[in-house]
Amino acid sequence: MGRYVLRRLLQAIPVLLGTTFLIFAIVYALPGDPLQALAGEKRVDPVFAAAMREQFHLNEPLIVRYGYYIRDIVSGNFGTTFRGLPVSTIFEGKFQVTFKLAMTALIFEAIIGVGLGLWAALRRGKWEDKAILAFTLLLVSIPTLVSGFVLQLVLGVKLKQSTGLALFPVAGVGDGMRSYLLPGFVLATVSIAYLTRLTRTSLMETLRADYVRTAIAKGMPRRRVLGRHALRNSLIPMVTYLGADLGTLMGGAVITETIFNLPGIGQQLFQSVYLRENPVVVGIVTVLVLIYIVANLVVDLLYAVLDPRIRYE
Amino acid sequence: MRVTKGAQIVTATALLALAVAACGGSGDTSSSSSGTAAAGNAGAVRVEIAEPQHDLIPGNTTETAGAEVLNALFVGLVDYDAEKKPYNRIAESIESTDSTTWTVKLKDGYKWHNGEPVVAQNFVDSWNYTANGANAQEGNYFFGSIAGYDELNPGEGKTPSATTLSGLKVVDDKTFTVQLKNPFSGFPTMLGYTAFSPLPKAAFESEGKLKADFGSNPVGNGPFKIAKPWKRGTDQTISTVRNEEFKEGKAKVDAVDFKIYTDLATAFNDLRAGNLDIMDQLPPEAIATAKQEFGDRYIEQPSSGIGYIGFPVESGADYAKNADIRKAISMAIDRKTITETVFSGTRVPADDFISPVVAGYRQGACGEACTYDPAKAKALFQQAGGDKMSEVVIGYNGDGGHKEWIEAIANNLRTNLGAKVTPKPVEKFATILDDLGAKKWTGSFRMAWIMDYPSPENYLRPQFGSGGSSNYSGFKSKEFDDLLTKGDAAKTLDEGVKYYQQADDLVLKELPYIPVYFYQTNGAYSQHVKNVKIDPFERIDLFNVEKA
Repeated sequence: MGRYVLRRLLQAIPVLLGTTFLIFAIVYALPGDPLQALAGEKRVDPVFAAAMREQFHLNEPLIVRYGYYIRDIVSGNFGTTFRGLPVSTIFEGKFQVTFKLAMTALIFEAIIGVGLGLWAALRRGKWEDKAILAFTLLLVSIPTLVSGFVLQLVLGVKLKQSTGLALFPVAGVGDGMRSYLLPGFVLATVSIAYLTRLTRTSLMETLRADYVRTAIAKGMPRRRVLGRHALRNSLIPMVTYLGADLGTLMGGAVITETIFNLPGIGQQLFQSVYLRENPVVVGIVTVLVLIYIVANLVVDLLYAVLDPRIRYE
Repeated sequence: MRVTKGAQIVTATALLALAVAACGGSGDTSSSSSGTAAAGNAGAVRVEIAEPQHDLIPGNTTETAGAEVLNALFVGLVDYDAEKKPYNRIAESIESTDSTTWTVKLKDGYKWHNGEPVVAQNFVDSWNYTANGANAQEGNYFFGSIAGYDELNPGEGKTPSATTLSGLKVVDDKTFTVQLKNPFSGFPTMLGYTAFSPLPKAAFESEGKLKADFGSNPVGNGPFKIAKPWKRGTDQTISTVRNEEFKEGKAKVDAVDFKIYTDLATAFNDLRAGNLDIMDQLPPEAIATAKQEFGDRYIEQPSSGIGYIGFPVESGADYAKNADIRKAISMAIDRKTITETVFSGTRVPADDFISPVVAGYRQGACGEACTYDPAKAKALFQQAGGDKMSEVVIGYNGDGGHKEWIEAIANNLRTNLGAKVTPKPVEKFATILDDLGAKKWTGSFRMAWIMDYPSPENYLRPQFGSGGSSNYSGFKSKEFDDLLTKGDAAKTLDEGVKYYQQADDLVLKELPYIPVYFYQTNGAYSQHVKNVKIDPFERIDLFNVEKA
């Protein structure tokens, strides 16, 4: 298994190179001069601009600049922003915020998604099942932007205004874990819907399997049949989904973090694209790709735990 | 194979833990930063800002968020009264007999937060630092009128031949002199700007070199001092506490927290929920409800910006070169409806080239030309042969939220003049500026100006003077230039204003630009505070804010 992990990690290198180069090329191909963005609507001072172009190798061809960038990354240096701040400073604490947010969302997803999915599968065809399916349809059809602002207004602002209760903070991370509840739920909404449906289908499939029928016929307690035989065997697609979703959640936190003013990488990414801080954009995406790769690896390794038939040699 | 399975679980868990650790970025320092993001002073007045673009260094700050914070930490030579005129703060007097050589005398008793007195050398050090091109300070250009500036900023590829401004001389601890390149009676009006703040000795590592951490933990001389160092890019709050030793007396509140938001709508929700106290700019979509919701606590006042439609009067198309057609276009624009509906009341119709926030503004100075009169406009347009000319192009940058009002103006011109109008979006504002510079842009274009310092001169010379730094219309008039020079050389500010207004009348007649709207400050504050005032720089008067 050690060899398997090593091989997977080595495979990650070309993936990482490829994705960073793509991002690099896209970011620098965006129309508009990043140095002009520094000056707003005024003209950039030509002397200053020349010095900056020199410092950031902006006059070199793309591939040469990419070379410089990779050289810096390998030596652990993410570079500096056009506004003179080390990119690594910007990362400080920000990935933590986003990771906390993504984990909160993941927990919501796992509890509500799996819970509803189970319920629906066990009540197949009954009104509960139909209600849950309708509910998931509702969840996927509301964009995060809308659910975010509505929940913020209702649970954050109106609740506080009418009752004085500040159960859910409107913005920021000033209230510890409580700050993450609302944004975490908003971030999770769409995934909850998918996971519910996935769980429902997967479990229904397993419930029809021969060994489950055998177990029931043997007179095994219902709880044990469900937990030990049915659920565990239908876990693989759910784990795959949850694992891949961690990466998606971290990258997709842009809107949620902006609405709730959480100082995470999503908000930073948005700001940096807006301000044309290309070094930050590329840096963040590089780390996100890394997280994605690792999350996928962990998921693959978890398969073996869930299904002993799977071996890594 | 239970053992193997156990090992697998351990490996997987370890990997997960690794991933978690990797996500923390540089995990060692992050714990402290999340702590500061959460904290902030209990009972502090909380003010909304955007993230300052640079560290807290006065000479490097030309945007409003950083200026808001620096305004609490630093005071300068002068400040501005309700009539928008400068009054002395640290300065005892700022005098000149020829408007060229200025003698600045300082008052006693102003102290730095570290206890040292504010002396003349502090100003000279700070100005020399900011004016030095090698230090790449955003506020560098403010010093362009001082003698010796060119030696410090020789241009691309050349090394400066000096490290200090030859025009600055320290006479004694309380006095210094400033030699300008040309006479400028409005010089004192510039001195209230953030870039002209002094810096303490403690700011400098050696002569002309700023300490690396000064910008995160500045030592100021103002009514508030920094409570703990601010980490740019990481901390969401900049905390300040009252300076008990401030010469002008104690501020009325103990502490001010500047909270950084990236989204105005979010900040507004926080204000409504009582987690924020003062916002000096509301999100446009909230203005209508904010008026009702906040009542007396809603603030509406002019700010320094003006929006224009400009014309390349020298190198443009036929219609752009014709002053009568420009006037007809101006008269065909329904400013009132545009400001009220398109901008939901966040702008007001413009009637002068000089903003209402500076002394010298005259209500209705633009007269007939800025008054909506479709019938007269059409008559003038046809009389000048406008209907036979090419279509009117209005260029604007598509990234700045200008589409709606440009389209509205285009419709005005179509309906009222019968003209063919093409609104033409471009990617970036700079594209239009570059094309104008190369005389490739022949159509009209959107334009805006926000003042650098509160003088009518600042609205006129850069935009319409021959060789002005932002003269994009190519307008040239010797008479206009002469009037500005007369204004600059005048003995007193008031006398200078008289000449500036005459120059203003001249461009109002020629209309190289058409003034369309004045920007506005739309703010609001919570029930926790009172006596909230906002100055023409859009800075909150935090010294006088009180707890309600």
